[in-house]
Amino acid sequence: MSDGGFLALGSIAAVRPVFLIVMGVFLMLIAWRLAKTSGVWTARLLVAGALLLGFGYAVIMPLFAAGVIENYLPGRHYHGSAATVVAWHLVRMAVMNTGWLLFGLGLAMHAKIFSSPAPRPRAQARSYSPHESIT
Amino acid sequence: MNPLHEIILKNGLLFDVLGVIGLGLLGLAAVKLARSHQSWGGSMMAMGAIALLLARLYLVLAPYFINDDVLGSIGPIGISLTIGLPPLLLSLGLASIVWGLWGHERWLHDENR
Repeated sequence: MSDGGFLALGSIAAVRPVFLIVMGVFLMLIAWRLAKTSGVWTARLLVAGALLLGFGYAVIMPLFAAGVIENYLPGRHYHGSAATVVAWHLVRMAVMNTGWLLFGLGLAMHAKIFSSPAPRPRAQARSYSPHESIT
Repeated sequence: MNPLHEIILKNGLLFDVLGVIGLGLLGLAAVKLARSHQSWGGSMMAMGAIALLLARLYLVLAPYFINDDVLGSIGPIGISLTIGLPPLLLSLGLASIVWGLWGHERWLHDENR
């Protein structure tokens, strides 16, 4: 680690689980506060996504980072049972990705990117047609 | 390879696509927030989403092109980059998304008061 000292900061084995737990808890807290001021479905999507992400970041990812659960890699031998490793891998993928999807949808609805910005002026406001009265 | 692994690999691609769509929506929403509200949290969130997307792209693509020849040609600094950079990007992306969300929420709170 002599020439990667700075880059190894992001992956220090002892700090990373704590960092992930803190981030997950903060994410849940802030999303809950944000959801209090928004509409029903926006709040539901935001809170559901943040709960999934919080569970993933505060429980599952620290277990992976601390080495309690073995990482799943295709074509590798495991110390424990392979079924457990595969099941945890599936749980992690489902929780994290569904969490990001729901959270992104909720934030997108919160930012109102699905509603058109302003009602367009009607087409009949134009008083002429270019194919008429060319004399 | 037994059928369970094949099912999980196929579903893994599906789940990865879901996560990438979610991160893209998050980035879009963050850019919209930053443009319409002039809130710095939005641009912070957009940077975090980009960092997470980059790290995820690398993690998805790495098994296809990283082999011993590539590792030998990029040298020890490159190898330590491939080891150190994805967790750094993941950590920084998560941190800036949470920080940006906090900033946006506090800004919204100040605005409503």
